[in-house]
Amino acid sequence: MTQGEKKREAHVVGAVSDFPEWSHRVVRVGRRQIGVFNIGGKLYGLPNVCPHQTGPLCEGKPPLGTLVSRAENDWRFEWVHDGEVVVCPWHGLEYHVPTGRCLAYPNINLRRYEVVVESGKVKVLL
Amino acid sequence: MAETVTKQRERKEKLEDILVVDCDVHVHESPRELIPYCEMPWRVALENIKDVQEFYLDIPGFSPGTTAYEAKFPSGQEGTRMVHSPEQMREELDEIHVDIGVLFPDHFLKIPVIAQIDYAAALARAYNAWLLDKWCDVEKGLLGCILACPQDPEDAACEIRKYAKEPGMVGVFLPCAGLERLWGHRQYDPIYKAAQEADLPVLLHSVTVIHPVFPFNTHGFETEFGRHICSHTFSMMANLVHMITTGVPVRYPNLRVAVTEAGISWVPFLMHKMDKEYVERRREVPFLEDKPSTYLKKMYFATQPVEEPENLGDLVTMMNLYDGEDNTIFASDWPHHDFDHPAKVHQVPFSNEVRRKVFGENALRLFNIDANGKRLNLQGDG
Repeated sequence: MTQGEKKREAHVVGAVSDFPEWSHRVVRVGRRQIGVFNIGGKLYGLPNVCPHQTGPLCEGKPPLGTLVSRAENDWRFEWVHDGEVVVCPWHGLEYHVPTGRCLAYPNINLRRYEVVVESGKVKVLL
Repeated sequence: MAETVTKQRERKEKLEDILVVDCDVHVHESPRELIPYCEMPWRVALENIKDVQEFYLDIPGFSPGTTAYEAKFPSGQEGTRMVHSPEQMREELDEIHVDIGVLFPDHFLKIPVIAQIDYAAALARAYNAWLLDKWCDVEKGLLGCILACPQDPEDAACEIRKYAKEPGMVGVFLPCAGLERLWGHRQYDPIYKAAQEADLPVLLHSVTVIHPVFPFNTHGFETEFGRHICSHTFSMMANLVHMITTGVPVRYPNLRVAVTEAGISWVPFLMHKMDKEYVERRREVPFLEDKPSTYLKKMYFATQPVEEPENLGDLVTMMNLYDGEDNTIFASDWPHHDFDHPAKVHQVPFSNEVRRKVFGENALRLFNIDANGKRLNLQGDG
């Protein structure tokens, strides 16, 4: 893992057992609220603020899948990213958790916080 | 006329320092809640459905018709928030910095689709009594609108007269979803007469339904996306065109009219479209004393669901096209799925003066209330 110019600090946000697979919860690190998601055993962190109207993005339902439609598949609807798409409970804007990409507006990319496990503790790097 | 765009050196006022009057928030009424307020024999019918499973804005025999015409994929946005008590409403409006909220129903947005005239009128009477008893509270900044049942305009006029002097009632709600005859029809004159006499504004509000009347004959759309747009915005345009082309603003010159939940970007379009028609067709509307846009500009337009162009300055431009600084009013539509947080409208690059007008001062004039929600048209009544 390459480190940026600034040294990042590891903030313990819970035990590994607090984040079972396919679960998510919002943790506080200082004044920040961060949604920590366990997607198939890998941990991801996203800000709990939707850039649209500041909704509590990570406080809703666990990530689900979503629908896409592509020319290569004759524009048939496909259910994709199962368990990987978080939806803002306020207005329904969808984000792909592993990449932070907004599905409706691809120019919007959420900041992604690195989440690591060390000695049974879950830590967010800031 | 004030500068609309923020002057460079002016410090932007914070949202929490501005009076926010929210012209559209929704209470949740249910058959069970209304039973004690409903007359016989209709009360028996409400008793009969009090335990029926409620879908969002869809209870058989109460607010018929579902909005789920498509495959129901799971989603993280259920869009089924409801507010069940004035305490809950006050708490939630505090969270979004709203000082005064104007109350509309949930289910009875769809009251025009009730086929039985006497039942619809009984439901409206029960709702009005319940709203005043349980929700309207000037101290809490929760102010009601009298539901005018379009199926029975004479009864609706009686309701307006009945509540005309109530400090907690500040307007008349004209439901538009599935409306058989548009609000310009002469049959509604008793409602306008009563509202004007009571100095209460009328507020049009629609919602999505599929119903065989324009613009709700939307069965051709494959998506709620399409139906939702038409059900709100087209409905407002249709009703305002009808009201102006039947002379409502001429016959009731002191009646204040507001529209909700349609955004604002269509207003310049409608204004210019009507003025163009007027060139050729004035003789069809000979009672108009001025071009149609003159009447339209006297109406009030609620922001929600506010358009969100990449350049929010475009909203200022659109507002200026209809001289909107004095007749644009803020609405959140709390707690519905497409509510607007006032922070979004706060981002629009208005001058402080125009921002204060849009967030509160224009609404105070519309409802003729002071900044504490007190009606200013009740003087001399002891």
